[in-house]
Amino acid sequence: MLSQILERPDVWRADDLASAPLPGVPTGFAELDRELPGGGWPRGGLIELLPVRRGVGELSLLLPALARLSSAELAWLVCVAPPHSLYAPALHAAGVDLSRVLVASAPGRDAVWACVCSLAADGVGAVVVWLPDAQATALRRLQLAAEASRTLLFVFRPAGCAEQSSPAPLRLLLEGEGEQLVVRLLKRRGGAQPVPLPIAIHRPLRVSHALACPAPATAAARSLSQPAVA
Amino acid sequence: MAEAWAFLPALAIQERDAGRERAALTRLACWAGGFTSEICVLPPQTLLLEVAGSLRLFGGVARLFERIVTGCSEQGFTSWAALAPTPLAAQWLAFAGDREPCLDADQLPQRLGRLPLAVLDLSAQSRARLASFGVRSVADLLRLPRAGLARRLGADFAADLARALGELPDPRARFVFPERFSEQLELPMRVENATALGFAGRRLITSLCGWLAARRGGISECLFEFAHERGARQRPATVLVLRFAGATRDAERIARVLGEHLQRLELPAAAELISLRAEAPEALPGHTVNLLGEYGGGAGGAGGESLAALVERLQARLGSGSVHALSAVAEHRPENASRPVPPRVPARERSPAGLLAAAALRDTSCAPRPLWLLARPQILREVAGRPQCGGPLRLLAGPERIESGWWDDAEPATVGDVRRDYFVAISLRAEWLWVFRSRAGWFLHGVFS
Repeated sequence: MLSQILERPDVWRADDLASAPLPGVPTGFAELDRELPGGGWPRGGLIELLPVRRGVGELSLLLPALARLSSAELAWLVCVAPPHSLYAPALHAAGVDLSRVLVASAPGRDAVWACVCSLAADGVGAVVVWLPDAQATALRRLQLAAEASRTLLFVFRPAGCAEQSSPAPLRLLLEGEGEQLVVRLLKRRGGAQPVPLPIAIHRPLRVSHALACPAPATAAARSLSQPAVA
Repeated sequence: MAEAWAFLPALAIQERDAGRERAALTRLACWAGGFTSEICVLPPQTLLLEVAGSLRLFGGVARLFERIVTGCSEQGFTSWAALAPTPLAAQWLAFAGDREPCLDADQLPQRLGRLPLAVLDLSAQSRARLASFGVRSVADLLRLPRAGLARRLGADFAADLARALGELPDPRARFVFPERFSEQLELPMRVENATALGFAGRRLITSLCGWLAARRGGISECLFEFAHERGARQRPATVLVLRFAGATRDAERIARVLGEHLQRLELPAAAELISLRAEAPEALPGHTVNLLGEYGGGAGGAGGESLAALVERLQARLGSGSVHALSAVAEHRPENASRPVPPRVPARERSPAGLLAAAALRDTSCAPRPLWLLARPQILREVAGRPQCGGPLRLLAGPERIESGWWDDAEPATVGDVRRDYFVAISLRAEWLWVFRSRAGWFLHGVFS
């Protein structure tokens, strides 16, 4: 009886990392993949990202996975209600196929509706949405839509929401410490990871570093894995 | 007329309008284009479809016949339909209300023989003459020698009989599908609620799709017009343009987009007439099968909603300007290097050459660019020569001199003359920012989010 319950995908033991029913999408950062159930960004659930401030590298954390989805798997990316305009050259430089990016400026409640539509559509690989003041019911609606879909769903909310309860099975607090991005896994299937996890995301320093150490030539062809510049 | 009213006080009298009858028949002919392109229109009330070539496509005689009859009633017409090997025989069977399909020319004398003489549309004189012969039905008529009939009732009459039986060929003028689609439908009652227009709109859409099938194309734009009540204070017609992310002739898809638009539409007055217009059809995109990944290219996969439909739904609710794709432009000035463009579905397929070009572009554009660009540069305070944003900023990389654009000062959408030194900066709160110094001071222009 107990073993039957433990085999269910939505039940996990508190002392070990849950195995996800679907393999995750590699994040592009081995240190993060190791800590995530399924070995990457999990499909079929809401991924809540809580950056302490804008500009700590919150979107850069997603870029390797988004680039992989759009360029290698030919999937579309839908960005809903971004707070500023997305800058095409930067996305292109990160390896995102711009011809498969859809940006929807949807105010208020329309943002959740647009996400639900996008999750139900064929050919969408990931939905990224900014919900600065979403209610719990809206999040629950998104979580249900994500469960019925294989599309990745990233929701950005302010770090102030970390104290509130959330239906998201994965919650990440994103902080900047010095020049580093530090991730705290507030919630995941398989127990929280209280230890802060520094992630070597791509930082815009290639100009000054190009003089000191020439960039390796191998990074030219397939720069899906980010050159680690710390 | 007075006598008729005396018998039936509730009788509603409507004047016959030959022009509207003809328009209705043309609309139905367009709709029938979904079944065959060989159509003959015989005003005032007859439509002939040559369906021999379509039987297999629609799964046999019975199913095709059923679809045509139910389709007619969905279009709002009461039809008498019949199926026969010759056009005249089909017409006569239809007038007699004989629905059983007749497929074999050998059965024609027997099947036609059962019909009354009334179906033949004879003049009173001919009918009187036939009655004097003792002819009561078509069977009696077919028993008479053909040469005698031709002498007594005219050669045309005898030839018609021969055509009905398939003994003489019966070529018909083919209906020419119009170059542009423009049909209208008068609403049976005043409609004040926009969503209620969807039902009438659907009839026009199926007619449009029949026309598109006959013209072998699709549309990516069509225009609905709702004319309002006539009167002293008649409002100008409400116009609704439907745009699609790709050429389509899927009636469901068009009806869904119309439905989304109607939900948001406020009618200024009750509508009386609905019309649908479309320009010349475009070639339909081929369906591509994707071998590389699990995701479809957007040409429409099985199950779920296709990406084109998603774009249309989002545009219908959020407004077409609120849903866009991105394009990078080779431009020095940062504001002009990223442009919102209308989404294109299906996306261009990946080609090896394109990949190489993209890799090359990625390699050369090594200068740092932020993921967010502020709509307008934001001025920063300067203390002791250092820009401030929640404390002094530390400059990590730069300067990158960007200087160009004096020549298109006059263009409204672009930024004119620019001379700036860009830096990557980090704030005390660990925000990565893109700032520049110009003659006017320090500005924040982007965020490396």
